Amino acid sequence: MSELELTLDDVRRGMIPAHIYNDREIFELEKERLFGRSWQFVAHESEVPQSGDYVVRRVLEDSFIISRDDQGEVRAMFNMCLHRGMQVCRAEMGNATHFRCPYHGWSYRNDGRLVGLPFHREAYGGEAGFSRKGQTLLPSPSLGTYNGMIFISLDPEAPPLDEFLGDFAFYLDYYTKQSPSGIELRGPQRWRIKANWKIGAENFAGDMYHTPQTHMSVVEIGLFREPKAERRKDGSTYWAGKGGGTTYKLPEGTFEERLRYVGYPDAMIDRMRATWSADQCAVVGDSGFMISAASLFPNLSFVHNWPRVEDSDDVLPFISIRSWQPISENETEVVSWFAVDKEAPEDFKAKSYKAYLMCFGSTGMFEQDDVENWVSLTSTAAGSMARRLRLNSRMGMLADGSAVVEPLSGDEFAGPGVAHVGYGEYNQRHLLDEWANHLERPVTKSAGVEFGATKVEVGS
Amino acid sequence: MTSAYIPIDSRRSPLGGHASATERAGRSLPFADERHLLAHQWVVDEAYLLDQQDYESWLDLLTEDIHYYMPIKVTTALGAGFDTAPGMAHFDENKYSLSRRVARFATEHAWTEDPPSRLRHFVTNIRTFATDDADELVVDSAVLLFRSRGDVREHALISAGREDLLRRTDDGWLLARRHIAIDESVIRMQNLAIFL
Ligand code: FES
Ligand SMILES: [Fe+2]
Repeated sequence: MSELELTLDDVRRGMIPAHIYNDREIFELEKERLFGRSWQFVAHESEVPQSGDYVVRRVLEDSFIISRDDQGEVRAMFNMCLHRGMQVCRAEMGNATHFRCPYHGWSYRNDGRLVGLPFHREAYGGEAGFSRKGQTLLPSPSLGTYNGMIFISLDPEAPPLDEFLGDFAFYLDYYTKQSPSGIELRGPQRWRIKANWKIGAENFAGDMYHTPQTHMSVVEIGLFREPKAERRKDGSTYWAGKGGGTTYKLPEGTFEERLRYVGYPDAMIDRMRATWSADQCAVVGDSGFMISAASLFPNLSFVHNWPRVEDSDDVLPFISIRSWQPISENETEVVSWFAVDKEAPEDFKAKSYKAYLMCFGSTGMFEQDDVENWVSLTSTAAGSMARRLRLNSRMGMLADGSAVVEPLSGDEFAGPGVAHVGYGEYNQRHLLDEWANHLERPVTKSAGVEFGATKVEVGS
Repeated sequence: MTSAYIPIDSRRSPLGGHASATERAGRSLPFADERHLLAHQWVVDEAYLLDQQDYESWLDLLTEDIHYYMPIKVTTALGAGFDTAPGMAHFDENKYSLSRRVARFATEHAWTEDPPSRLRHFVTNIRTFATDDADELVVDSAVLLFRSRGDVREHALISAGREDLLRRTDDGWLLARRHIAIDESVIRMQNLAIFL
C-alpha cells in the first residue's frame, strides 16, 4: 500500500493520522482532487439584488465575479482578462454595467461579454481579424443555486447541485428558508486563522462534545442558557446526503411552543409552518429537536443558536453561514455571513444581528475559544511526532466497530439520514470518509480554453 | 468630488439608533489647547488600561449610551460612495454587550486569553476637535495593536483609525462613541478578543 492509501485507510477506521491537519502534500492533493471538483458556496442572491450588483469571491486561488446581469441573471465569471490576464475587477463589491480592464482597456459587460477593445481595427484588423463576438470572461465550469445560495464548481462534470445536496437539502431549509422569501445575507466578516480548514468543518458537523468544555465561559456570563453538559448530550446528530449537523433537545411542547422557546415571534413561526414540509415541521414539533450547527461537505458550515442579547431572560435566535476557505495546509480564511429571514420584523433582524455578533464571527464569544483550540492543534500537527500519532475519532463506536447507541427510529427522528442521540463522532467520520473518497480518485485533466486564435499549422 | 475617505456613521448601523450624533466643529484644536492636552492624556491612559487588560476599569470609562462600532472594511471602486459592508460589522456594541465581553474575560474559562496575549496599543496622530457642546470633544487617533500569543506563533497586528466622542460627566470624561476604521478587509488575527 502507498503511504496515501495507508493514511486514508486509517482515516476510514476513525484513527486520524494527525499530520493531515498540517501537511503540504495532503493540501496539494486536496486542491486538485477535492476543491478542484467540489461544489463551493460563493454568495447568496440577496447579496446581488439589483442588475449590475456584483461581489468578488474566491475558490482557493481562483477569483470569480458573481454578478447580476441586465437580464437579472446571476453569473459567475473567472476574474481574469482574456488578453493578458489582469484582474478585470479589483473591488470586492459594487454595481457596474461594465468591467474595464485597467491594463489595456478591454471591456466586458456585466454578463461577461467582451464589448470593447481599444484600437480594434489597427491592432487586430477589426472583426475580421479578431472577432469580439462570442468572447466572454470564462464562466465558472458549473453553477447551481438552492434557496438563492449560489454554488460553483471548477468541475464541468460536477453532479447537479440538487443531486449533490441530496437529503441534506431538507436541513438546509431550516437555515435558508424560514419563509417563501428565504434569507438575506449580510457581511461577510473575513479573517485568517492559522488552522487547517478541516477542523472547523468537522467541529460544526458534529462536535457536541466540545460545547460544555470549550464554551463554559459563555454559560457562566449568562449569554447562553443551553450548553450545560446535560443539555447537549440529549441532543442528536444526523448525517444526510453530503452533510450533517447537531441538534438540541427541546422541552416538551408543540411546534409553536418549541420555536417560541428559542425566541421566534409568532408571525415567523406561522410562516415556517406554512413553508416547511410536514416532516420538516415534525423534527421540531414531534421529535423535539432544534437544529444547531451543521456542515456540508467539504467546507461550508452553518450555525443556529439562541443567546440572550439583553439583560433579560428572552433569547434571540440567529443564523450564520460560513465557508472555511483554505489558504494553505495551516491557514484558513473564515468567511462568515449573518443570515436572517427576509420577512422577519425589522426589530427581530436587528436583535438577531446582535446575537450573531455576540456569539460567532470575528468577535463572537463562542468562536473566540474555538479558534484558539484549532490554531494550537494545527501547529502541533506539523512535526514528526504527529506523523506517528493517530488521533481517536471513534466516539460512538465500540472496539469492534458496532454502535454504542442504536440510531434513532423514524418515530423518534422525523428527518432523513441517520441520527443518533448523544455524543458521537459519526459526522466527523462521514466528512472525512467523503474526503478520503475524493483524495484517492485522480482527476482527469480539464480541457484548456483559448481565445480568438485559430490554430495554424506551423510549417516545417 | 470623489473622495477616498468615507466617514463612519452610527446611523448606518441597525444598532446605532441610540448613539450620540454630536459632530466635530471647525479645525483641530492647537496642540497647546487645554482640551487637546486633556483628550490626549485620556486616550494614552486608556491605551495602558487596554494593554494591561484591566477591562473592568476600562468599562467604567464608557458612558451608558456608548456606541462602540467597527464596520467591515470592503474594497470598493473610488467613487462607489461606500467602503464598508452594508448592515454588518465586527463590533457593533452597546454597554451591555461590552459588559458581557468583559465579564467573559473575568471567568476562568475564556481559553483564548488564558494564557493571556501580550498586547501593546500604539496610539498616535491624536487631534482634538471642539463640538457645539462644551462638554463634548471629538478625538481622532491612529492605533496599531501588536498581539503576541505563546512562543511558537507569529505575532499579529491590527491597524485602525478611531474617532472618539468624549463627554464630561460627574465621573469625569467618558467615552460616549467610538468609530473604528479598520485598515484591512481581511483581518490577519485569529479573533478579536481584544479592544481597540
Ligand atoms: S490584460 Fe486586460 S486588456 Fe490587456
Ligand atoms: Fe464551538
